[in-house]
Amino acid sequence: MSMKDRVAIAGASTTGFVAKNLNRTQASLAAEACVDVIRKCGITREDVDGLCGSWPSAAVLQSVLGIPELTWFGNPVIPMVDHVATAAAAVHAGLCEVVLVYHAAYRAAWNSGSALKDPFRRIATPGLSDPHPGPETMAAAVGYTGWASRYMYEYGVTREDLGVVAINARSNAGRNPAAAMRAPLSMDDYLSAPMIREPLSLYDMDLAVDGADAFIVTTTERARDMALPPVLINAAVLGQVRHNEEDQTISLRQHGQQVVIETLKAKGDFWIDDVDVYFPYDGFTPITLNWIDNAGWCKPGEAGAFLREHWVAEEGRALINGRIPVNPHGGSLSEGATQASGHIREAVHQLQGVAGDRQVAGARRALITAGGFFFNAQGLTLHRT
Amino acid sequence: MTVDVSDDELVQRFPGEPITHDNAAHYRGRLRRELLLNRCGDCGRWHAPPKPVCPDCWSTRVSAQPVSGDGVIFMAIFLHRGPAAPGVDYRTPYPVVTVELDEQEGLRFTSTVVDAANEDIRIGAPVRLDWTDRAGVPMPVFALQDSAS
Repeated sequence: MSMKDRVAIAGASTTGFVAKNLNRTQASLAAEACVDVIRKCGITREDVDGLCGSWPSAAVLQSVLGIPELTWFGNPVIPMVDHVATAAAAVHAGLCEVVLVYHAAYRAAWNSGSALKDPFRRIATPGLSDPHPGPETMAAAVGYTGWASRYMYEYGVTREDLGVVAINARSNAGRNPAAAMRAPLSMDDYLSAPMIREPLSLYDMDLAVDGADAFIVTTTERARDMALPPVLINAAVLGQVRHNEEDQTISLRQHGQQVVIETLKAKGDFWIDDVDVYFPYDGFTPITLNWIDNAGWCKPGEAGAFLREHWVAEEGRALINGRIPVNPHGGSLSEGATQASGHIREAVHQLQGVAGDRQVAGARRALITAGGFFFNAQGLTLHRT
Repeated sequence: MTVDVSDDELVQRFPGEPITHDNAAHYRGRLRRELLLNRCGDCGRWHAPPKPVCPDCWSTRVSAQPVSGDGVIFMAIFLHRGPAAPGVDYRTPYPVVTVELDEQEGLRFTSTVVDAANEDIRIGAPVRLDWTDRAGVPMPVFALQDSAS
């Protein structure tokens, strides 16, 4: 029996995010979000029998929160659709019934110069003093810059197309008190930002932050007894293809994203014409453009033009067909680098009708296309029935 | 010509490189200035990065074989900052390119381009293999084919 609509997200909480080093640990940030989501759902820690996150480990967080007993826990790999999907599968399989899912974003010594100066963060980063390979690689984050060069080459687009993504994120973040960067961003600001890895500049890259999100994942039946409206998991997928190394990936039209899109269309009950909010991942701006292309909102290479076509000038952001916001929380670019926990949490809040100034009136269906191209493309469709 | 270096010495000569039993032959090849990539002895397909079996036919008759190093730039980026490395000065943005090699469609290798102005390092430009030294060991790099050799 498929788990479609049988498992739900009962609630989501956040600490909010800041682009500075708080004098706190990841365990402290995660614990704050976890306590809040347990309370908002109207349950107790005795109700929690599953725990799922990456940092800190489930063992550490269970001990911190004094959760008496777990029958299942998992520490999957970011981004966070993995955690939600794995927790949902565990619930559906009967390994546990109420999973606390958490993610603590944390400025680490490898993504923040100021974090490198914090001795606690430095010693918390394993391998920092090990010798590292040289710069002649497309591995890890660098790969998105490589494919940005390819995107611009193949489709003949300019950095302005990437800039539209960054500006949209910043304008949305202006309405989100949880976001780390809320001051408006102009195209001139974007184009004059320092290059980091050309053709990507400072504003093409997500923002290292401190903060945490937490979720309760449980059966739809159990969620109906909790305090907030259940958000049903309609379809979830972790998509990956064979050539998944950054420099061996076949093309912008043949990587993990296509698997995600085809799977969500095949297994889910609704698609882009029916959604009220859209969350394309934005760890780097070219990922967002490629998601918009690959999801079928427009033809390959036209995502930048598509966003401009649906641009609402007075709001400084895109509203697809005049109604569908794109990463209304500000995304990883402006709310902060949450590895998609922010995207999922905002989707839950929108569907529960608790998204404050960002609320899309009557939002019922959300599409989240999280992660990048290579070994981390993920999809999730959520709805409220 | 063979260079017999122990596994210990190989790791010492390439600090920071993730050397394994699957890719050690590639690094040994570098020491004698040969760019070796894995090729299947049964179906003849090339694979990168090195894998312990042929991902096409599952043969274990996989070995590191020399490639010409001729190819075309597939992706090109310029690092304005990056990891510290001997001889790399980011005040001039440092090129990193992925090259699609002539041996097989989709077979790619990533390195830098030497002796070229950044504005000439473009996707689609033909390149050839060249060698430089990094901390006393040979490093495979690319040169533009239309530059003087």
